[in-house]
Amino acid sequence: MNLVKTDSTDHQLIEQFRNGSPEAMEKIVERYEESIFNFGLRMCGQVQDAEDIMQETFLNALRSLHNFREETKLKNWLFRIAANACLRKRRKKKFELERELSLESLMPGAGSEAKFDIPSLSPDPDSELLRAELRDVINDAVSSLPPKYRMVFSLRDVEGFDTEETAQILGITSQAVKTRLHRARLFLRKKISEHYRGE
Amino acid sequence: MTMREECKEYFEKISEYLDGELDSETCEKIECHLRECPECLHCFESLKRTAEICRSLPREKIPEDVEQRLKDKLKGFLSKDAAKSFDL
Repeated sequence: MNLVKTDSTDHQLIEQFRNGSPEAMEKIVERYEESIFNFGLRMCGQVQDAEDIMQETFLNALRSLHNFREETKLKNWLFRIAANACLRKRRKKKFELERELSLESLMPGAGSEAKFDIPSLSPDPDSELLRAELRDVINDAVSSLPPKYRMVFSLRDVEGFDTEETAQILGITSQAVKTRLHRARLFLRKKISEHYRGE
Repeated sequence: MTMREECKEYFEKISEYLDGELDSETCEKIECHLRECPECLHCFESLKRTAEICRSLPREKIPEDVEQRLKDKLKGFLSKDAAKSFDL
């Protein structure tokens, strides 16, 4: 059994929790609650849904932490629970249907010009309004991604999991992760560019 | 304008190239193509910038009441768990 994958702070907190310290669980929650909440918000769009997903994730983790064998990182394990909670919530609430993004529809020149206008993030504090606009544009574009692409994009490009970790969290192949991520990025580029071109 | 056939093969691999997931031989081929094809270079750079700006999105703060309810739920669960252990 491989016990070295979870980082040392997580490992210590898990040990403390197993030895009867409820404070250890509080610290685990503090470490990951914001990322789980944001993941839920990105996947389901509503604060109430993100709250439900966060609660379900940590309550399930609390129930199973005694048996967690640390064969994967704690963060990955929590995101697997959260991803499953998102899927259940989506099924229950009958969110938008899945649809495929074809590569052809995202190729340069497919229904638009070949040039893309993607703004840079300026560090200039005076450009706060522009940054706020860009934030809204990106959030709108992300929320219009079909869910299975949004899930991969969120784990890879926002949470920073690598391809293999994302595949394990979602129970899909690495090739499926690569394909979905590529199409998600192409879709986002198209949406963001359309906004800044006034299309 | 439609994409040239020779560019399509590279277009499909651009994200993997961006993520450093390709072997060195394929990377060299792509780099060689990018030097010669301004359309693909623009395609690559705009995709790279898209990934960068999306990564830099700030996280939403958890509303205080939402965080408090999570703490209460966990405390409730832990105290029930402790009570169960005590009963045993």
